[in-house]
Amino acid sequence: MFRFLKKKPPRKPKKRRVVVKKLKKLKAAPRKPRKLKITRKPRAFPKKGDGVKAIFEPRGVVIIGASGAKAGTAPALFRSAVENMSRTYKGKTHVIDLSGKMEGAFRDVKKVRGKAELAVLALPPSLALKNIKKVVDAGVRAIIVCPSYEQEERGELSTARGNVRVLGPNSAMGVINTHTGMCTSLERGMMPKRGGIAIVSQSNSVGAAVLDLANNRGIGVSKFVSLGDRIDVDEAELVNYLSKDKDTRVICIGIGDIRDGREFVDSLRAATEKKPVVILRAGIAQLEDKVYDAAFKQARAIRVQDIEEMLDVADALAKQPPMMGDKIAIISNARGPAVLALDAIHREGLALAKLAEKTAKVVSQRCPGTDVSNPIELGVEAKAKQYELVLKNVLADPNVDGAVVINMLKSRFLDAEDMRAIAEVLKKSKKPVVDVAMGGEGYVLVRDVLKDTNVPTYDSPERALRALKALRKYGRVKGKIEAPVVSKAAKKH
Amino acid sequence: MAAKKKVLEFISSIAGQKRRELLEFESKKLISLWGIPTTRAELARDVGGAVKLAREIKYPVVLKVASPDIIHKSDARGVKVGLSYELEVKHAFEEIMANVRAYKPNANVLGVTVQEYLPPAREVVVGTMQDKSFGPTVMFGLGGVWVEIMKDVSFRLAPLTRDDAFEMIEEVKGYSVLTGVRGKPPADTEALADILQKVGQLAVEVPEIAEMDLNPVFVFDKGKGAVAVDARIILREG
Repeated sequence: MFRFLKKKPPRKPKKRRVVVKKLKKLKAAPRKPRKLKITRKPRAFPKKGDGVKAIFEPRGVVIIGASGAKAGTAPALFRSAVENMSRTYKGKTHVIDLSGKMEGAFRDVKKVRGKAELAVLALPPSLALKNIKKVVDAGVRAIIVCPSYEQEERGELSTARGNVRVLGPNSAMGVINTHTGMCTSLERGMMPKRGGIAIVSQSNSVGAAVLDLANNRGIGVSKFVSLGDRIDVDEAELVNYLSKDKDTRVICIGIGDIRDGREFVDSLRAATEKKPVVILRAGIAQLEDKVYDAAFKQARAIRVQDIEEMLDVADALAKQPPMMGDKIAIISNARGPAVLALDAIHREGLALAKLAEKTAKVVSQRCPGTDVSNPIELGVEAKAKQYELVLKNVLADPNVDGAVVINMLKSRFLDAEDMRAIAEVLKKSKKPVVDVAMGGEGYVLVRDVLKDTNVPTYDSPERALRALKALRKYGRVKGKIEAPVVSKAAKKH
Repeated sequence: MAAKKKVLEFISSIAGQKRRELLEFESKKLISLWGIPTTRAELARDVGGAVKLAREIKYPVVLKVASPDIIHKSDARGVKVGLSYELEVKHAFEEIMANVRAYKPNANVLGVTVQEYLPPAREVVVGTMQDKSFGPTVMFGLGGVWVEIMKDVSFRLAPLTRDDAFEMIEEVKGYSVLTGVRGKPPADTEALADILQKVGQLAVEVPEIAEMDLNPVFVFDKGKGAVAVDARIILREG
């Protein structure tokens, strides 16, 4: 977190050590926005990756808009951005209203010289183009350009940015950092709860939809970034940054076209060494999609078909350990859903675990009435206690690599509250577990109990098994990184 | 690397002729310089040359028309296989010339290539191309209807790891054709993986090759290897 110290102009070593100590003390104390003057000028030719940090973790933000502009939606969006920041951002936000009407806002960009690392240009296109030079001169390190431009104007923008990094243009959904409360989005009320999922979206609307869905389902997000039309900062740099981000456990990317295929694949490959990457790519009808698909496979990214699957899978990857084998145990208090889970296991190319004799014996002795042939059926009257006992034993079984827990509320005697005790057991599991509460209202009841635990919850066995499959895919990646294995075909012969 | 130097020299000798497309025997020469197994193929400009080469290569042989204007040699009825003695070679030569003249009267025909004949085997297709975003890419598919009708192909970015090569073989829907069904022994996927890796490496190290198409590659039973039986290379522009 104090990496930026290294980038400051060299000081005497002795002095620097003192500063570091002071900062550590500051960290322990309640958060206080630090007053910092940025004296360092950007390097003559910023390297790839330079300044990306300033987009997510800036020291000081300035939002520039024109509340009185006549052009379309820009003023309303400007106000939303200011409101978003004032509501949740823990750092300092400076506001510049070129129309001079907004209360507490400066009128001139010069007023914030050296006070902000990140600028958000929430202006109509023409005004943004006219003012970008001034913003660059105010000493920011990065600019988020919200309006969208035609090709030639993008060229102008590129020239005007000089050495400052630009996200966008057309990055209307901007950047969200849930850990600092920063939200430059021009959409109101998008701040998701904190969590381990980072979202990179080329499209503003798809990005907004993913955030909305995550909020709706109580799925936590670490960072969000809307890529826009990328005249500068691109997906490869963002992946590089997010792969090193401590708050991010899974990276989700929604993208159509990739700027530099090789570079992107290299960044993905480096990222998947550290954490899983989930990709949604539009354009499956094109022939070149086969090449994209191959590239994602070689980079060990997990490709999904839609945003629901993206979040289903990412939620599991963020909360659960990777699955190191194919064998799954189904633990259910109802038969029908368990049978559907069996089909889903088959469809995903996973396998049903056969319990070790010892496990089967212990379970059937201590919980009479439990059917210990996998799927393991607990009976209509199963409550937390029976679930706990069965889960503990089954998850300790060496023949089991992961588990699906199915808990039906309606038609059974289980209450959503029983899930608390079950969640406690699952918290300690070293093997991945996903939960299914099949249905609609029953699902919502269970989810509300489990949403702040580490147990991902799904409303159907099919979705749960897709999530487990993703955990298995990442397990294979982990397995390969730790101990390279011979390929399937090579082993067969 | 010696192989690379030889390949580049070979390419520059052809590039001097201001054409982008290599003939079959040239393509085969190039890939054999890179260590990719392929059938021996030599150009004969007349009947006498064909007979002489057939004796040298050893019967049975294959004759294929050699013309920069004819891409699909079978369509022009310009291929004769399994020729076992001199008279057959002579007849085949005349027949090919007549067929080709009928098919495309203005074609510039250099002669025929005389090639060693291989017994039938499972056929696959291996290719490379330079993708505009991802660079050198390797394609794999099973021969015949699998590629042409089912479009059953897989891709990987070059260079390929051993795992990549096997994964792309396993990925095609008709993979079981290679594992051996109905009493057939498995095919030599190790040798096939070798070819895929070598082809990928070639595409990476020699970007002058814009496109390469080895179709078919014969994959023999396990332990017996795999050989590119036809090859087509297109060089980069400029």
